[in-house]
Amino acid sequence: MKEQVFGRDVRRRILYVIIISFFIVSFIQLFNMQVLQGSIYTVKANENSIKPVYLTAPRGILYDRNNNILVGNEPSFTLRITPDKYDTSLNRYLETILGLEKGYINGLLEKNRRMSPYVPIRIAKNVDYKVIAWYEENAEKLPGVDYVIETRRDYSFGVRGSHIFGYLREINKSQMDKMTGYSLGDEVGYAGIEKNYESVLRGEKGIRYLLVDSHQKTIGRYNSGKSDIAPIKGYDLILTLDKYTQQVAESLFTDKRGALVAIEPSTGEILAMVSSPMYDLENFSSMYFPKVWKELNEDEDKPLFNRATMSIYSPGSTFKMVPAIAGLEEGIITEKTRFFCNGGYYFGDRFFKCLHYHSNTDLVTSIEKSCNAYYYQLALKIGLDNWSKYAAKFGFGRKTGIDIGEETSGLLPTVQYYENAFGKGRWPKGILLSLGIGQGELSVTPLQLAQFTALLANYGKSAKPHLVKGILKNGKFRGIEPQYFDIGISRGSFDIVRHAMYLVVNGAGTATNIRLPDIKIAGKTGTAQNPHGDDHSIFIGFAPYENPKIAVAVVVENAGYGSTVAAPIARDVIKAYLNGHVHGDNKIIKNEIAAGVSKIEN
Amino acid sequence: MKIDYKLNDRFDIVFFVSVLLLILFGLAAIYSSTANHPNASQNFNKQLVFAIISLVIFFVIYTLPEQAFKNMAVPVYAFSLFLLIVVLIAGKTVYGAKSWLDFGPVGFQPSEFAKIGAILGISYWISYKERDINNIKDIAIAIGIGFLPALLILLEPDTGTSIIFIILTISIVFWSGISLFALFVVLSPLIVTFASLLGTIYFIASLFAVIIALFIFKRDLFNSIAIFMLNLGASFFFEYGFRLLKPHQQKRIETFINPYADPLGAGYNALQAKLAIGSGGIWGKGFMQGNQTQLRFIPEQWTDFIYCVIGEEFGFVGSIIVLLLFLMVFLRLLHFASISKDKFGSLVIIGTLTLYFSHFAINIGMNLGITPVIGIPLPFLSYGGSSLLVNMILAGIVMSIYKNRKLHT
Repeated sequence: MKEQVFGRDVRRRILYVIIISFFIVSFIQLFNMQVLQGSIYTVKANENSIKPVYLTAPRGILYDRNNNILVGNEPSFTLRITPDKYDTSLNRYLETILGLEKGYINGLLEKNRRMSPYVPIRIAKNVDYKVIAWYEENAEKLPGVDYVIETRRDYSFGVRGSHIFGYLREINKSQMDKMTGYSLGDEVGYAGIEKNYESVLRGEKGIRYLLVDSHQKTIGRYNSGKSDIAPIKGYDLILTLDKYTQQVAESLFTDKRGALVAIEPSTGEILAMVSSPMYDLENFSSMYFPKVWKELNEDEDKPLFNRATMSIYSPGSTFKMVPAIAGLEEGIITEKTRFFCNGGYYFGDRFFKCLHYHSNTDLVTSIEKSCNAYYYQLALKIGLDNWSKYAAKFGFGRKTGIDIGEETSGLLPTVQYYENAFGKGRWPKGILLSLGIGQGELSVTPLQLAQFTALLANYGKSAKPHLVKGILKNGKFRGIEPQYFDIGISRGSFDIVRHAMYLVVNGAGTATNIRLPDIKIAGKTGTAQNPHGDDHSIFIGFAPYENPKIAVAVVVENAGYGSTVAAPIARDVIKAYLNGHVHGDNKIIKNEIAAGVSKIEN
Repeated sequence: MKIDYKLNDRFDIVFFVSVLLLILFGLAAIYSSTANHPNASQNFNKQLVFAIISLVIFFVIYTLPEQAFKNMAVPVYAFSLFLLIVVLIAGKTVYGAKSWLDFGPVGFQPSEFAKIGAILGISYWISYKERDINNIKDIAIAIGIGFLPALLILLEPDTGTSIIFIILTISIVFWSGISLFALFVVLSPLIVTFASLLGTIYFIASLFAVIIALFIFKRDLFNSIAIFMLNLGASFFFEYGFRLLKPHQQKRIETFINPYADPLGAGYNALQAKLAIGSGGIWGKGFMQGNQTQLRFIPEQWTDFIYCVIGEEFGFVGSIIVLLLFLMVFLRLLHFASISKDKFGSLVIIGTLTLYFSHFAINIGMNLGITPVIGIPLPFLSYGGSSLLVNMILAGIVMSIYKNRKLHT
């Protein structure tokens, strides 16, 4: 090798030269910037600068299964104060005009004391147009006060859906640490679909570049606004709800406490869901959130609680199909097996009551007439293990996995459960009798009941209950595939039980009062004992009998018999969905949305 | 073997004090830019804790025997690669790059740790049993050791850090005694590839330059053609690989080459940085008095634009003091590398020098508006625990090598 291998000293000099030359360049640049042109930069720095202001994107719109709007957006006025220029002696004056409590503005200013005094603070959202007109006239007397147009949720489409949609709130500190891309004052979904689909609905922020001086005072738009980035609206969601059915269901619960869930049996799509009492989502979008929240939270009827997924009830007689199917599947009974009812059943020295004297009862009659004595004896025959095994197959005792976060699993007692409570082999067999008729420790949510009904309707095949059918991305629908499942129970057992449920309404059963001439409804009534007051009225049902399109579970609190209150509600909802359908025109009203957005941007 | 036990013979005070002062300057600037900030007011305390931990670790490493670094070179390098692969699979995405590993409250950037791995790894390979650095196979492996982590980091994608690894590798190879011709063979494909990104004309011009250089070196025809083909191949290979990247990754590389295509993104910060520094004047506006800093014109100023805080609040005088402290650090490192008789030690010191200097030059260049905006922290000053810790670990290794230099004759 004869190429020039130079020694360490040469290499050291090369590195030395590189380092020194960079320092000389930096030195010259610093001298130039800070000493020679320092004054020019100082003037520039004091004069103007570009400041990006982030613009919140309108949230995605919620549509029903037929593309009718359920929750939209509308522009609204927000009044703000910039503390730097604001005169606090105006507090009382502003508070009176805006209808705010005394000291409210002062409290807000105090809360934001550590923030830059040049950044505006929102003092009132959704301000009336008249107040804005008044402000326009008096603007010069109100230094440091201004208003902006923002979007707010529009709930004026005739559906309340408080527990389904959920609400928005200003983001708090701990959420800001967890989620990226949010800043103070941004709204974020706090419950329901708004929370669970936050990332889909929220869209992308835009940026407006303003020219500001060194005190952040705006002196114009950078590049006449040509460099601004428009916010991108969030993706819309197509829900599984049927707007008309939901409206009917909500109206049927006026003055009642309870819940209703309607599911399309073959797909698990939730057609309607009500938890009553409801609350107005409208109230949540004001600045008085804490006050509204406190009132609702202290309400005895617990309106904030989603009874459809969070409340637990004894299913009562609506549960009887479970031991019936367990007995048939395990070969313990056949359709023809009879148990005797003399108005009840003696177990040991205790008499467990039935509502009537049913004499020698077979399986179909036991469901049709809701004979308790039959199920006392059946439960003793199938035993607790089989009882809880089949109840678990129908989804009791665990969450359904619905796509809104708030859900409870209820309680499905097992042998293990009683052994923990009473000791091994020491639990009283009398417990089984109560469980046989859906009482005792067993507790279920209305959503679980609806899923159970859907499984009865569709021969054990359904999909996880869900509220979102798909996402509308730039006008293109992208469906979310439901999670189908089959609980693996023979068709023969279903045929017997379903036939009995048909007779409940269309034979000589307990709910003949809801029989319809044109729709064949199958169902089961239930009356759940309630230690805290009057019995709860329960009904589950599906229709049309041969080819079910809708499965409904209804619970009305403290309303007595299932047939008198819950069953007619179920009937009306079924009727609304199957007959009284006011479908949308299957076109998304794009112009309307676009108009809303452009109004907001300007 | 006689060892002189005078303190300054075992511990370089000038180097250590310069580093310490730089850390203090950094803390002051972080305090000024984050005090009263709604989200970042805890950053000063965090950085202070990291500074103390780093100093303790520096002294612990300083006490280690010399052989320790050679022994840990291979495991540390292998572990770095492992972490870089893990972060690509399970990393947390921050600012569009998958570069963080999350351990509950503590986050960690494997690319920072890999800097130590790469320096030790390459140095160990080259110094192992007096390898012939002008043997093509040995050079290729040495470069491969450095470029492998660079490639993994490019996939995150973190172009800026990836480039640091390339500079690092070339610098260590350069110091190892490679011939000028061999260096040309190594560097020319990189230059040609970079030129191909700038445009066709640059690409062709760079190919001509390669041909002219080949004539000057007067190698035989076969070798010359082989090297030319290597150049051509590298750029086409890169072009092909570029197309395999996802659109957003391509866009990142494009904006890296031409940041002014995005004047309101990267360009916005560059403009604000110049305004802040320029308006500082000779004496500065005073601690916590800079209106550009206090009004937060530059987002997250305490990370990559920390030098602006110094420039605005401490003026020309403060800026120059910081530059001189860095100069002191670099010249001491160059001196240590030159006097170290152990090849491994000397290469590790040069690696550390290159790491510090490349970060410094890219960051200061960006703050002063000389070079494009590349998000690289300023060593010892920028907010960030991983970066400070790694820099201090390397300082500890360097000081330890300096301490033991007389064990070699």
